[in-house]
Amino acid sequence: MTLDERTKPAPQSGRPAGSSTATAKRILPLPVTGQEFVLIGVLIVLWILLGIFTPAFLTPNSIQPLLVSVAPIALIGVGMTFIIITAGIDVSVGGAIMLCAVIVAKTMVSVDIPLIGAVALAIVVGLVLGVVNGVLIAYGRVAAIIITFGTANIFQFLALRVFGSSTVNGIPSTLEVFGRGEAGRTLGVPNSFAIMIVIAAVAWWYLRHASGGRHLFAIGGNANAARLVGIKVQPRLLVAYALTGALVGLGACFILASGTATLDQSVGSGKELQVIAAVVIGGTSILGGRGSVIGTVLGAILVQTVTSGVTQLGWPSQLANLFVGIFIIIAVGTDLLRERARRKA
Amino acid sequence: MISKKKVIAVGAIALAAVLTVSGCTSRTDSSSGGSTAAAGAGDAKITVAFVPKLQGIPYFEAMNAGGKKAAEELGITWLYQGPTTADAAAQADIVRSYIQQNVSALIVAPNDPDSMAPLLKEAADKGIKVLTADTDAPDSVREVFVNQASVEGIGEALTDQLMTAMGGKGKYAIVSCGETAANLNAWIAVQKAYTASKYPDATLVNVVYAGEDQAAATSMATDLMNANPDLTGLVGECTSSAPGVAQAVKDAGKTGTVFTDGLGTPQSMAPYLKDGSSSASILWDVQNLGYLAAWAGDQLATGKTLAATNDVNADLKGIAYDSSSKVLLLGDPLVITKDNVDTFSY
Repeated sequence: MTLDERTKPAPQSGRPAGSSTATAKRILPLPVTGQEFVLIGVLIVLWILLGIFTPAFLTPNSIQPLLVSVAPIALIGVGMTFIIITAGIDVSVGGAIMLCAVIVAKTMVSVDIPLIGAVALAIVVGLVLGVVNGVLIAYGRVAAIIITFGTANIFQFLALRVFGSSTVNGIPSTLEVFGRGEAGRTLGVPNSFAIMIVIAAVAWWYLRHASGGRHLFAIGGNANAARLVGIKVQPRLLVAYALTGALVGLGACFILASGTATLDQSVGSGKELQVIAAVVIGGTSILGGRGSVIGTVLGAILVQTVTSGVTQLGWPSQLANLFVGIFIIIAVGTDLLRERARRKA
Repeated sequence: MISKKKVIAVGAIALAAVLTVSGCTSRTDSSSGGSTAAAGAGDAKITVAFVPKLQGIPYFEAMNAGGKKAAEELGITWLYQGPTTADAAAQADIVRSYIQQNVSALIVAPNDPDSMAPLLKEAADKGIKVLTADTDAPDSVREVFVNQASVEGIGEALTDQLMTAMGGKGKYAIVSCGETAANLNAWIAVQKAYTASKYPDATLVNVVYAGEDQAAATSMATDLMNANPDLTGLVGECTSSAPGVAQAVKDAGKTGTVFTDGLGTPQSMAPYLKDGSSSASILWDVQNLGYLAAWAGDQLATGKTLAATNDVNADLKGIAYDSSSKVLLLGDPLVITKDNVDTFSY
């Protein structure tokens, strides 16, 4: 309820700014929305509490690995935000991560491939998988959840074939610039996290200021209406899924880098749910039409903070699931309440 | 709104379809293996079938290799089929298909011992000899459990190896996997009791559960080191967390300050044993376990009984069988260090 009251004034405070200049072309929402302020507040409170009650939460040795764990989830979450804004969903990212990771790992083991080659290979594989999803969803006009359920199984099948009944052993340290170790940091900031922030910033700008980004919101709000006003719905959808695929490729490199010298079949498993959780906790509406990548990044940080915090406090591991579950329900619940309030207004 | 509801309904149908199809896949897979079984049964050859928890992981593939070797030497037919995920229902389908094929002996490593028990009874009622291997179903009709190592053997070896590295004192923590995995929990209970009795200067400060996820195990190990700055030991309780805890120590630059050991397969542990981030890996000879399971299946199928000690082959001599608990024990756990790690191919 408090969230409702907070979001209501937001458009009002935005309106005078727009109406004062008669030539204003469009009214933009606030750069940071109500839910994001709430998330920032929750994070600050959590970090202070963890700083007080654990010996080392607020030290570089603890924050740096936390940010390394956040990077792939938030990165893929950026793509997932695009998709969910269009009222779609992609549950195949776990299978896609698995396929990208095993292809890159096997290549690195058998050929002496440089860093840039490994990353390019991963992104290309991910992009192809994303395009497959995008084409089927945009041009086949089948519900995204069904298509991506299907492709998730197919990607897993292909990945298991590539694994070929064994783990990939002795993976070289080519990708260590994205890892948890000393080589994975520049001036104390994990490289993978920094790259994710840059990509998220560009995505944030695109969604807010570029016409293509605004079209995604229009499609999620009402796809038929968007089509009638001349938005090219199908290419826009394709781009959203392709982008997610490419980010899955890069994310798979981050995941490989933060793993061990052995890759097993558990890679990517359940990651689609972690990514969707970050997006939903970040305030993106699962009904489409509303959302932001800032929220997604904050959501990913919140989920990892809770997981790390539970371990560092010495609490039973399963409490992390409980807290993440509660966050998701609160986030979706407030979103639905807002939606209802908006309709009444 | 109606369209939304439709989407959800269609989604639910699709989900059901996907689940059904994936259920069917394992069934078709096993029936493709069935043709060989039928042929085997036709010329009255002994057929021993093994259903692992899941197919395609090095651990069970190594067991399969051992079973195949035994089958060649014993002149029996060896069948191997498991689900692609550690799923009790998919595993039950495969067990059912082997029951229909009327194999001579059926060896199962159950994902869920309780739900497997009635199926094992069904098999026994049809005259199939029923065994468990790797993981037991204690409340079932199984005639023999082929045990890789005793619970005490593994728990004590894990503790001894870690304590040797830590100098017999200090704080350590365990990164385990599934919270409900009975074998892991039994080992942890031994580790706790044995540490308290034999190493009074050492304490186990925490046990965390990462699931079968290497990345989660690595990040939890990092969190444990941060939460306990004076921590000097970490145990990775399963094959995904053993390399995970070693990687965490390596990434934190604490090799030589924080020591680790765990249950890891030799190939996955090799880099860490060599750079010192892992002191030892505890396992058993997985291929020999597969060999022993196939041999025991053949013994039962041909109506032989197991003696208190059994000489199976040149490698497997004096294998102990406890007739009261019906457990055939492979032997002492294997300690894998940087010196012998390269002698294993899995």
